[in-house]
Amino acid sequence: MRAERARPLRRSATLALTAAFLAPVALLLVWSFAGRWPWPAPLPSRWRASAWIDLAGTGGLGAAALRSLGIATTVAFAATGLGFVTCRSAAEARSRDVLRLLLHLPFALSPVVLGVGLEYSFLRAGLAGRTAGVVLAQGMLAYAYALILLSGLWNARTRAYLEGAATLGAAPRQGWVLVLLPIARPLLVLCFVQTFLISWFDYALVLLIGGGRVVTLTTSLYQFLLSGDLRLAAASALLLLLPPLVALAAHRHLRPTAFAADPGF
Amino acid sequence: MPDRAPSRGLRVTGLAVSRGGRAILRGVDFAVEHRSTLAMIGASGSGKTTLLRALAGLGDVAEGGIEVDRRRVDRLPAHRRGIVYLNQEPLLFPHLDVRDNVAFGLRLRRWDAARIAAVVDPLIAALGLQGLDARDPATLSGGERQRVAFGRALAVEPAVLLLDEPFASLDPATRLSMQTLFRQVAGSRGITAIFVTHDLKECLRVGDRFAAIRDGACRLYADRAAFCADPANGVADEVAFWEAAATPPRRD
Repeated sequence: MRAERARPLRRSATLALTAAFLAPVALLLVWSFAGRWPWPAPLPSRWRASAWIDLAGTGGLGAAALRSLGIATTVAFAATGLGFVTCRSAAEARSRDVLRLLLHLPFALSPVVLGVGLEYSFLRAGLAGRTAGVVLAQGMLAYAYALILLSGLWNARTRAYLEGAATLGAAPRQGWVLVLLPIARPLLVLCFVQTFLISWFDYALVLLIGGGRVVTLTTSLYQFLLSGDLRLAAASALLLLLPPLVALAAHRHLRPTAFAADPGF
Repeated sequence: MPDRAPSRGLRVTGLAVSRGGRAILRGVDFAVEHRSTLAMIGASGSGKTTLLRALAGLGDVAEGGIEVDRRRVDRLPAHRRGIVYLNQEPLLFPHLDVRDNVAFGLRLRRWDAARIAAVVDPLIAALGLQGLDARDPATLSGGERQRVAFGRALAVEPAVLLLDEPFASLDPATRLSMQTLFRQVAGSRGITAIFVTHDLKECLRVGDRFAAIRDGACRLYADRAAFCADPANGVADEVAFWEAAATPPRRD
């Protein structure tokens, strides 16, 4: 009885949440196609697709989007790959409590603080104002997150899986390829998505390390807002939303594993 | 030293394991004849698991000699010893179905499908796993999981099978049926095994020969009678308990 009474309430709450999420997206979509939208008209009086045409071109917004995609993909691959091969050392280090504390610093250290701290060294190293510098700075942040996310892999259960495989005849490399990687796959995908999004949404490090010469979707969005070009700002914002939406849609395909509930250190 | 040195089987001489400067096992000597099961009893913390892990080449570095079918294996890595270690918890690979779990060790050897089927099909039948081939391990009961783990270990025809309290987490009825199944399969397939348990009845049901491990030292008994006669193994206490339990209380 109580469950039946709660059902309409739950449905209303779901509808309200969906509307709260979709309404700004719909508004952005309308803005991105707006030609003329005089106040207080509920909808634009003229429609234009110039923001999206600009996006499809190689210059301007299209180039910024492609650069963002390239940077975020590189950062995610590097952080996830490096995190995967080094998380074992981090989990089994003698001073892992201190290490854990250090690894959790990114939660306290915002990208702005990291950017300010790195700016001078990157200038001296010739990395400031270059895409490689932005990738490196974001990679440092993303790597720490990757280690935290992947640290759950190295627990007694994982070791037992690998030991079991070894006594069945699996050489260490076979153990990694045939046992560890398949078992870790959902966590690796999750780590890739998370580190991709850290880079994809980053503004501070791109601004501080890129110095205005590295233009990404986030810096473009901010520039469009400052210059009052709301159509391009809306198109940029919609593009920024695309990867998390794809990740959300794919989320149900990621099977949870024992690792998620069992942090290794 | 072992009381006799079998031509085939497992021979352990002077095995010692220490951890953090503390001796966990010292001077362990014994032999397990080919196609026989050594049942080993010991309390928690006596060094049973450490012994099995040392034999399998896992964990702490051990000193001493380990021979399998007259071949020294103590310097070999775990994957080249031919010794399979079966954990208390049947850790089936969650990304593989039942059949692929059983076939895991054979796929490592790059056998073709027909050759794998020739080994796996009879094993699945012998272990009563027909119809479960395509099942996800997560959907199996504890007894079924243990049977799959057992099948996975048997498929590679190990020179020695080490069983570390494999049925400890099962309910009494399933445990009994698994002990019977183990005896049948070990007998029909000629398995050389060490079966470690802290359960006296299980020890006596599964073993051909018997040993006890206490405080890191291992004692091998000449036969079943010698094992039962040692008061330290608690057989007399167990018998006395059941006799007392079976006697109706006197009414004065």
